[in-house]
Amino acid sequence: MSEETILCKKCETPIVLPKKLKDLLSKTEINPILKLDELLHLCPRCKAQTFAEQTIGEALQRVPRDWPLPKRRSEERKSVRFDKRTGATVYKSQCYICNSGCDALVYEKEGKVIKVEGDPSSPITKGTLCCKGLASKEQLYHRDRLLYPMKRIGKRGEGHWQRISWDEALDTAVERFKEIEKKYGPDSIVLATGTKRGTWCDYFMRFANAWGKQFTSTGWAQCAIPRQLAGLMVLGGYAAECPDFSKANCILIWGTNPANNWPHHALSMMEAWSRGAPLIVVDPELRETSSKADIWLQLRPGTDAALGLGFLNVIINENLYDKKFVNEWCVGFDELKARVQEYDLDKVERITWVPKERIREAARLYATIKPACMMHSVGIEQNADTISSCLATVMLPAITGNLDIPGGNIFPMFKDIRGRGDLEYTLKHLITEEREKNIRGSAEYPLLSSHACMLYPSAHNATLWKTILTGEPYPIKGMYIHACNLIVNVANSKQVEEALRSLDFILAVDIMMNPTIELADMVLPATTWIERDELTSHHQASYNAIQIGQTVVRSGECRTNYAIINELAKRLDVKHMFPPESDEPFFNFLLEKTGLIWKELKERGGHSFLDVYKKYEKNGFNTPSKKVELANRKMRNLGMDPLPKYREPDESPISTPELAKEYPLIITTGGRVSMFRHSEGRNISILRDLMPHPLMSINPVTAKELGIQEGDDVIIETPRAGMEAKAYLTEGIHPEVVQLPSHWAGNYNVNLVMDNEHCAPFVGSTQLRCQLCRVNPVRNSSRYDSKPSGALNPAGIVLKSNPAAEQRGIISNGVKRKK
Amino acid sequence: MDCCMGCHACEIACRQEHDLVDETRPKWCRVMTIKPRRIRNELHLDYFPIMCFHCDDPLCIQCCSVEAIVKREDGIVIVDNEKCNGCRLCVYACPYGAMSFNELTKVVGKCNLCLERLEYGIEPSCVQHCIGGALRYVTQEDLEETIKGKHTSFIGKVCYASSKWKLAQ
Repeated sequence: MSEETILCKKCETPIVLPKKLKDLLSKTEINPILKLDELLHLCPRCKAQTFAEQTIGEALQRVPRDWPLPKRRSEERKSVRFDKRTGATVYKSQCYICNSGCDALVYEKEGKVIKVEGDPSSPITKGTLCCKGLASKEQLYHRDRLLYPMKRIGKRGEGHWQRISWDEALDTAVERFKEIEKKYGPDSIVLATGTKRGTWCDYFMRFANAWGKQFTSTGWAQCAIPRQLAGLMVLGGYAAECPDFSKANCILIWGTNPANNWPHHALSMMEAWSRGAPLIVVDPELRETSSKADIWLQLRPGTDAALGLGFLNVIINENLYDKKFVNEWCVGFDELKARVQEYDLDKVERITWVPKERIREAARLYATIKPACMMHSVGIEQNADTISSCLATVMLPAITGNLDIPGGNIFPMFKDIRGRGDLEYTLKHLITEEREKNIRGSAEYPLLSSHACMLYPSAHNATLWKTILTGEPYPIKGMYIHACNLIVNVANSKQVEEALRSLDFILAVDIMMNPTIELADMVLPATTWIERDELTSHHQASYNAIQIGQTVVRSGECRTNYAIINELAKRLDVKHMFPPESDEPFFNFLLEKTGLIWKELKERGGHSFLDVYKKYEKNGFNTPSKKVELANRKMRNLGMDPLPKYREPDESPISTPELAKEYPLIITTGGRVSMFRHSEGRNISILRDLMPHPLMSINPVTAKELGIQEGDDVIIETPRAGMEAKAYLTEGIHPEVVQLPSHWAGNYNVNLVMDNEHCAPFVGSTQLRCQLCRVNPVRNSSRYDSKPSGALNPAGIVLKSNPAAEQRGIISNGVKRKK
Repeated sequence: MDCCMGCHACEIACRQEHDLVDETRPKWCRVMTIKPRRIRNELHLDYFPIMCFHCDDPLCIQCCSVEAIVKREDGIVIVDNEKCNGCRLCVYACPYGAMSFNELTKVVGKCNLCLERLEYGIEPSCVQHCIGGALRYVTQEDLEETIKGKHTSFIGKVCYASSKWKLAQ
C-alpha cells in the first residue's frame, strides 16, 4: 500500500499516512468539528487535543453545579476472595505508594500479580485509586528492583556491586558500625529515613531510640512537623489534617493539591464540590485543585502567614467567629484579637498580592457557611516562619466553631492503638537530657530536634551536614539510610553529597537504586507494599479505620522493613527492641490496648471505629489547659511569640532588593504531580509517559521577555548554582513567580539551587517556596554550552553509559552487578 | 466533565486492565489539558477525558478493508485482533485520536468499554477509578437525571456535560 510520511501540523510527530485514506475520507461524512484537512495532518494525540478544545469552546455560561453523586459500586469487605472473571485470587490490602494509604485490591494468579485495583468495599476510597497506586505492579516487577543484598566493590559511587548473603551483609554492617562507635563515640552514627507512611516512622524511631542514635529524615522540618505540631499545640490533635469534606458545605484548601497527592481527600472534596459547596483554594499557581475553585487566592509564595492573619482579621473584626465556642473552649482569644489588628487587609494585600476584596470575600464565605472544613498541607511549611503560617491556619476551624463536627475538621476516632504518642512503643524516654543535647539542631531548633517536638525529635538536616563535614562538635562517620533519597530530596544537594561521600560507612535499604544509595557501601533490598503485611491507623489515611496490608507475592530475597530492622537489632544487642520481634507479635503489640488481634483483623480485612463527634465535650482538648490554646503556653515557655505573625522571606524583592535586581523571579517549588511520589516513579514507563520532562511553570509574558518558548530547555540560576528544566508556559502563574519542578535528579534537581542556610526559627524549615532566581533559555547561557550534559533518565540518575538500555528508550539504574 | 481533575487515574487504570504496559505506549484513554486561558477576565483551566465514543457511523469501520472492526448490536464498537492486519488506516481516520496501534502485537486497539467487565456487571475500569466522579457509566434514566439543566454534547454513545461551558455540538 502506498503511503507517505508527514509531520503532525501541531507537534511535528511523524505520521504515516496511507494514500488511500484521503480518498476514503473525502467520500464520507465527517464530524463537522474537525475539518478533513486537520484530520489528515494531525497525530492522534493532537486530534484529541483539538477535539477537546473545540468541544469546550469559549462560551462561558454557568448553570447550577448540582451534580448527583456518581453511583459507585460497593462490595462486601473480604480479606481474600476468588475472582471468577479473571481467575485470580484477590487480596485486600492497603496501597503504600504514598502517605494516603488508600484501600486497594491486589489480583494474584499463578504466583504473579496481574493487577492492582481500587477497593469498592472501602468507605474511604469507594473503589478508586490514583495513577501511582494503579501502576504498583510496574514497580513490583520493575527490572531495576534490588533483589539481593549487595556490597560495593569499586570506589564509592562508581556503581560496582557484588551480591552477598543476608548474613554476611548484616554481620558486616553491624561490625562496621561497632568499629566506628568504638573509635569515634556513640554519636558518630546517624540514621535517616524518608516519608512517613503508616506506622513506619514510629518503628524507625523506636529502633533509633533503642540503639541510642539520632536520626534525621528528608523533610520533616519542611513537611509534617510544623503543621502537625501547630495542630498539637493549639488544638491538641490533627484536626486540620482530617477534613470531613463529604459533609461540608464550604471548603478551604490551603497549600495543597489533593487532586494530585491526596486521592481519598480529593474524592470526598469533589463529592461536596459537585453538589455545589463553594471551594476556596490558596495556591500560587492555577493547577488541578485550584482549577475547581470558586475563589482562587493566588498569593505571593511564602506569605501564607500574612494571608492567614488577614482571614483571622476579617473573621474577628466582622464578628463572624463562633462566640459560644470561643468563650467556652478557647484561651488567648483577646491576645489573638489584638495581634490581628496589626494585619489590616491593606497591609495583607501589600504583602500577599491578593486583592483585599478577594480575601474579605473568601474569609466571609468560610466563616459564615456551616459546616465548613479546611485542609492545609506542605505548601505552608516551606517559608520564613512555618510555625506561624501553620498556627494561623489551624486556628481557623477553631474560631469558626468547625472543630470536631460532621462536615468540619475532626479529630481521629481511633484510640488505644499504639502510635507516636506511646512511650512503650517509641521508647522516646530513652532520649535522655544528655542525648537530647547531642541531637544536631536541638539548641537552635527545639521544635524539631528536642523533646519539645512532640512527634519525632530528629536531627536538623543542614546542621547535620555541617557537622559531618567539619567534625564539630563531634565526628559523624557512619550512616544507616532506610528508604530515603537525601541527595534528591534535601536542599543543597551538593553539600549533602559531599557529606555522604565523606563518611566511612553507609548502609542503605531501598527497593531500587537511587543517587543517594549509589553512594552506599552496602545495600539491602526491601519489599514493596505488595510483598509485606502491614497494619496502620494513620490520620493521613483515614480518621476512623485500622487498615491492613497483606503479603501477596515475594521477590528475590527482599525483606520487610520490620524484618530488616529486627535483624539489625538482634545483632546490635538492642534489648529494648523486643517484644516486637516479628510481624505478628509486633502487630498484636500495637493492638494490645484495643482488644483486637492481628489474625482476626486480617481475616476481617480491617476495622472501622464508630464516628464520635465533639469528643472534647467529654474530655476537653488534648492540651495542657484542656482548651484550644490560641495563645500557646508551650511556645511561650520556649521563649517564642505564641501568636502567629508574618516574617518576610530571607530572600525576596523586599528583604533583599539588591539581590532581586540580579535574580528577579520568585521561586516556588514542590508542587506535587499526580504521577510521581516525591522522587519515586520516574522509571515506571507508563507513569513517565504522562510527564516525560521536568517542567518549569512560567508566565507567557515573562517567557516572552526572556525569549523562552514552550518546551524550551532553560537554565534556572540562583546565587548558589544552576539547574535545568523545560519551560511550561502558563497564565496560571504570576509573571514574577516561577514554579520549579521538584524531586528530579541529576542536573534537573531543584535542590542544587536551593539554600539551606536560612531556616525558619525554632523548627528549622528550609525556605523552599520563597527564594529568588533568574531564568535563561539554554542557548543564551554562558555556563552551559549546548544541551544538558547529564543523561536524563527515568530513575533520575546521571549515568556513565548503558547503550543497550538507551536504545530501548528506558534507561535502567545503571547498576553493574558482579557475581 | 466539570468534575475531571486531570489526575490521569483513568489512563493508568485502562492500561492495567487491558495490559497496555509495554513501552510502545498504546493509549485507549487520554485526559487532555486545556491550559489556563483568560475568558471574561477569569482564568480557566480545564481537563477533558477522551476515549472511543462508539460512534453511530464510525469512520474506523468504513476505512477497515478487512472488516476487523464491528459495531455490536448494543452499539459497542470492537476490534477483532485476529482479523486486523495492522494497516493503521483507522488510526489516522479516527477524528478523535481514539484508535492506537500496538507496536508489540502489530494490531490496533481501542476502548471496548471494558466489555469483559460489563459481562460480569462491573463498570469499566476508568469509571471505577475516576476520583472526581467525572466518568460515569449510566443508564438512560440516570443520564437524564445527571444532565438535567446542564450543557451537553452527544457523540456516539457518549454524552459530555458541563455546568460551565456551553459545549459545541
